Amino acid sequence: MATRRIISQEKSLLEKDDRIGSSPAAGEKSNIAPAVPTAVIMKLLAFTFAMIVVPIGSYFATVHTLFKGNSTYAGALAAIMANMVLIGYIVVAMNEDQSEQEAVKDTKKGR
Amino acid sequence: MAESELSPKFAPFIGMGGIAAAMIFGSIGAAYGTAKAGIGIAGVATFRPDLIMKCLIPVVMSGIIAVYALVVSVLIAQDLAPPSSGTNYSLFNGFMHLACGLSVGLTGLAAGYCIGIVGDKGVRAYMLQSRIFVGMVLILIFGEVLGLYGLIVALILNTKSKG
Repeated sequence: MATRRIISQEKSLLEKDDRIGSSPAAGEKSNIAPAVPTAVIMKLLAFTFAMIVVPIGSYFATVHTLFKGNSTYAGALAAIMANMVLIGYIVVAMNEDQSEQEAVKDTKKGR
Repeated sequence: MAESELSPKFAPFIGMGGIAAAMIFGSIGAAYGTAKAGIGIAGVATFRPDLIMKCLIPVVMSGIIAVYALVVSVLIAQDLAPPSSGTNYSLFNGFMHLACGLSVGLTGLAAGYCIGIVGDKGVRAYMLQSRIFVGMVLILIFGEVLGLYGLIVALILNTKSKG
């Protein structure tokens, strides 16, 4: 009865390249995509810009043109515009959550 | 500008104090709200990074407090002019601008304090129970409205300078 050496197809522990944390194994490409999607970053940047520019810009744009120097109405308009930005942000944040939930449902249906 | 009993030399000093009070106290409130809500976001986002977008709402509201203070400061600053230009800045205007600045500044401080605490505890509770979101936003809006009342009073007061 001939003896056969057991030839293991699996790599031994020392031969394996293992991942440590987020660093990839040798030969694999590392994942450098940002953790936050680009669309979310663009939304946040747009709202930051709007929060800085819209209220004070609407004040100076309307104080001498639309309201003819009545700075009270222009100031009230600036406050209203600031709240409009806030409402827009809340709506976008709610939609963000809903679209994520729908995406989760779609992946569950696909399985 | 002739100095008179109704428009003494020190009247602009009091008006400038109003501008400073609006901006300083409003920014203290907005800074407290942003910092405290930011601590809450840092606590929540380590466990649920997908909630960051909604948890930023208190931070945006704190920013609005600073916008209120900015609007009132710009309004008051437009009524001020150097004495060499021949304008007559009365003591009444000075005290009125001080009242404008203090009302919007200190209500902004109150609103920022409220938004900070509600934002911190609210987003931490939202991480565990998603139904609390509507209640959190409503409480935040009621806190925000405190600053809006101060702005309304300041705007109405500011119309009296052109009597």
